[in-house]
Amino acid sequence: MRGFTHYISGLAAATFFPSLVSDLRMGILLPVIAAAAAYFPDFVDFKFGKFFARRDYEIDPAPWDEKKHYAPKLVKIKELSEKNRYQFFAIEGRVEEILTRGSGTVTYTILDEKGEQKTVEEEYNSIVFILNDGTGRITVEAVGDDYKFFEEEFGQIEEGKEILVFGYVDIDEVDKELRFVVSDAPHPQGIAETIAKAIEEAYHEGERIVKIHNIRLPGDVYRQFFVYLDPPKREVRVEMGPIVTPGGVAITDKPPEYRRYGIAKVSVPFIKTYPKPTRIDSFSGPEIAFRRAEFRGKTVVKDRFLPWHHGFSHSLTMGIIIGAFVYAIFKLLGYNHAGDLALASMIGQWLHVFEDQLGFMGSNLLPPITKDVIPGFKLGESGSGLTNFSTAWLMISFMIWNFNRFTEPRPIPIGDAKLLLLLIWPSIIGFGIAIVRSFKLRKEIAQLMDYYTNLEAFEELEEVGGI
Amino acid sequence: MVPLSEVLVWSLAGVLFGSLISWIPGFHIFNIMALLVAVFGVGELMPVQAFPFFAIGAIVAYAYVSAISSVYFSVADESAVFLLFPTQRYLLLGRGHEAVLLYLIGAVAGTLVLVLGALFIFPKVLPPIYQATSPYITYFLTAIVVFMFMSEWPKEGDRGKTPLQRLWLAWRQILGGILVFFLSGLLGFAVMNTNLLPSTSAYTRLTPMFIGFFGMSWVLLNILSNPPMLPQKIDDKVESSIYNTLKASFGGALGGTIAAVYPIITGGMGALIAGHITSQRGDDAFIISQGVNRVIYYVGAFTLLFLPNLRLTRGAAAWLVSSVYTPKSYAEYLAAIGVILLSAGISFLFTYYLSKLIARSFTVVHIRKLSYVVAVVLIAISYVLTGPMGVLVLFVSTAIGMMAAAFNTRRSYCLGGLVLPVLISMTGHTGEVMRLLGLG
Repeated sequence: MRGFTHYISGLAAATFFPSLVSDLRMGILLPVIAAAAAYFPDFVDFKFGKFFARRDYEIDPAPWDEKKHYAPKLVKIKELSEKNRYQFFAIEGRVEEILTRGSGTVTYTILDEKGEQKTVEEEYNSIVFILNDGTGRITVEAVGDDYKFFEEEFGQIEEGKEILVFGYVDIDEVDKELRFVVSDAPHPQGIAETIAKAIEEAYHEGERIVKIHNIRLPGDVYRQFFVYLDPPKREVRVEMGPIVTPGGVAITDKPPEYRRYGIAKVSVPFIKTYPKPTRIDSFSGPEIAFRRAEFRGKTVVKDRFLPWHHGFSHSLTMGIIIGAFVYAIFKLLGYNHAGDLALASMIGQWLHVFEDQLGFMGSNLLPPITKDVIPGFKLGESGSGLTNFSTAWLMISFMIWNFNRFTEPRPIPIGDAKLLLLLIWPSIIGFGIAIVRSFKLRKEIAQLMDYYTNLEAFEELEEVGGI
Repeated sequence: MVPLSEVLVWSLAGVLFGSLISWIPGFHIFNIMALLVAVFGVGELMPVQAFPFFAIGAIVAYAYVSAISSVYFSVADESAVFLLFPTQRYLLLGRGHEAVLLYLIGAVAGTLVLVLGALFIFPKVLPPIYQATSPYITYFLTAIVVFMFMSEWPKEGDRGKTPLQRLWLAWRQILGGILVFFLSGLLGFAVMNTNLLPSTSAYTRLTPMFIGFFGMSWVLLNILSNPPMLPQKIDDKVESSIYNTLKASFGGALGGTIAAVYPIITGGMGALIAGHITSQRGDDAFIISQGVNRVIYYVGAFTLLFLPNLRLTRGAAAWLVSSVYTPKSYAEYLAAIGVILLSAGISFLFTYYLSKLIARSFTVVHIRKLSYVVAVVLIAISYVLTGPMGVLVLFVSTAIGMMAAAFNTRRSYCLGGLVLPVLISMTGHTGEVMRLLGLG
């Protein structure tokens, strides 16, 4: 659920206590603490936990310029090394020597709608030249659509010309030297290879956490990209998408096909627990933990999105701690209703845990008694407008209902049950629709898991010569 | 009530007045109306009973036509180091007219929701709900402020080399927001509770502060950033979906209603809450919801002055009008609803054609030149309404508004100028704070 939905649940929790409602009427605003307690789990995770979380691999497809805080970073040639392969940078220098100019054949892999790979060979115009920025020399190559754009931007490329080139770093397969490929995005292969490596290491070592940075460009826009984990094919595929606004509106086409896809093979079994690809664009990039786990009798690697999220902060145990803390503080301060405030705060935090449990991620509910995450009820995604609204409306209704029944004479002179029903019907309808929708999603996930299981069996038969 | 023919004439005059000034960046209908009243008075220019209808025409026009200044005259600089509003992004892509059309879709939806609500729902539902919840307004207000701080999304911090560096980068922005809120609050407290500004400007004492926070800082950014004036498309085409439109309209209506009914809660705060509740995403949805939100917030809030069994005074315009004349009859309420529909139709057409005209001639006059003129006019308005000290307040609040932009934080933290002193007052601590600040 979204932050305010949790927060308003805490606000509503406080209104169930007549003593706190009475305090509110007198201008004592302490019950707001119950709302803060309800939001506390996300506050801790996103304002603190996130920054202290371990990162085994940090994938930064397009490092930021340190002053401007967007990509591409202007670098010197001497700063580049093999470690920067596929990353997106800018280099400013002088064209020292033109090596080739004309047309050539390029071979590359694309994916069809079903995710099947296809090799394409095309003839493209291209230019290859040496760029010197005073700190070193690098071979720069522009082909196809990038060559066209490059020529439009700089006109005829001549020796001695000063230019600012955008592109990604690559390594020449023949002479193993660095080269710079003119482009408007990093190459996705680097992302795919690092994720594949992390999955393989997790299978042997237990866990690897990967941080994937997003690609912010000038003008507060982002290069969108998708990470597909394909367990049946044992592949990690990354697709570069269009440039999008923070609101998700695409403002360019996708990059040309010859640098749109990155595909890396994985040598160990893994499963994906959520049937959608990971999309990376605005705000910040995700962290994904790959953990060794048992799945229907087999050792596999499972993914977990934002591993620092929904930990201890999202447990019922934390609610008890918050309640005890609030009680101790306000009892010491001499607040008459410290007990009620503590209870309201604990219930507010518990409501947060329960509301999140309606989604996918689930939480470790009672640590240290429970050790692992209990999967969510899959009623809807955290960003679902329907479940967020239904919950928030229910809480608003509870507040109005409580304010009314704890006030004499009652501002709304209707029986309690009737008033509650009049207020909450939109939430009842909303939850009803969400439940119906969730059946479809559960079915989809169940089918996917069955598919994984059967595929494993198929692979075993193949190994022993059964087919 | 004045005869219907006069209602019509004065409301049309209001629409004309509102339309003519609302497209200019930095101008707010409340400030200009206050200026009008301060300079000319009301009784001499028009019958006092006609003033509410003139005002509603002007406010409807503002809710529609101000889309022009939001879209075309809040231009981002080329580097766009700060986060951009969706409308600014549309403009940088040459799709300013599309942004105006999206806003207009929202504004029309907002008008329909408002009119239907005013006819069939508000008279029955609002009074009891308001009565049940109004004693707890301070609770809601405090809760929203706390939530604003707690929910600030750290836009930086991901790329720090160590955990502590990441934490600092993230909290630098959050702390910047808190600083802006409290500085605004201190300024607002001084403006409201001291004789810093002359007592003759009782109704307009907050005007220079708000001009500085939102209008002047915006204009100044336009001047400093020297934005590119890119050619704009004038096609009548929008990229959105029925689903997004309906969802955005619902969210906008919810946020606008909360802001219209409850005091101090502004349209921006309402939008923040409603955006979370309905989980909105997408630039198109954002702009549509802004259209709905602003119509319901500005026009809806003013309409409450007419609602016979509630008669709430919400917003600066309502306070200004009610100081001259408060509508009393149900006939006036119905007439006001009619005026809203009529004014909305005219304002829609005016905004649409003005947008086409500006999109076509966007590169003719540079925004920087226009911004210089507007800056001078804003200083003049502050001077006329509140004297030389008002101009000083304007400068200080402009600096605070610029700080919000520099910290890359929410501009709405400047509302601390209103929220903090009101909260202090509502909780009965004004005297203590006065003593603490050495003001009393």
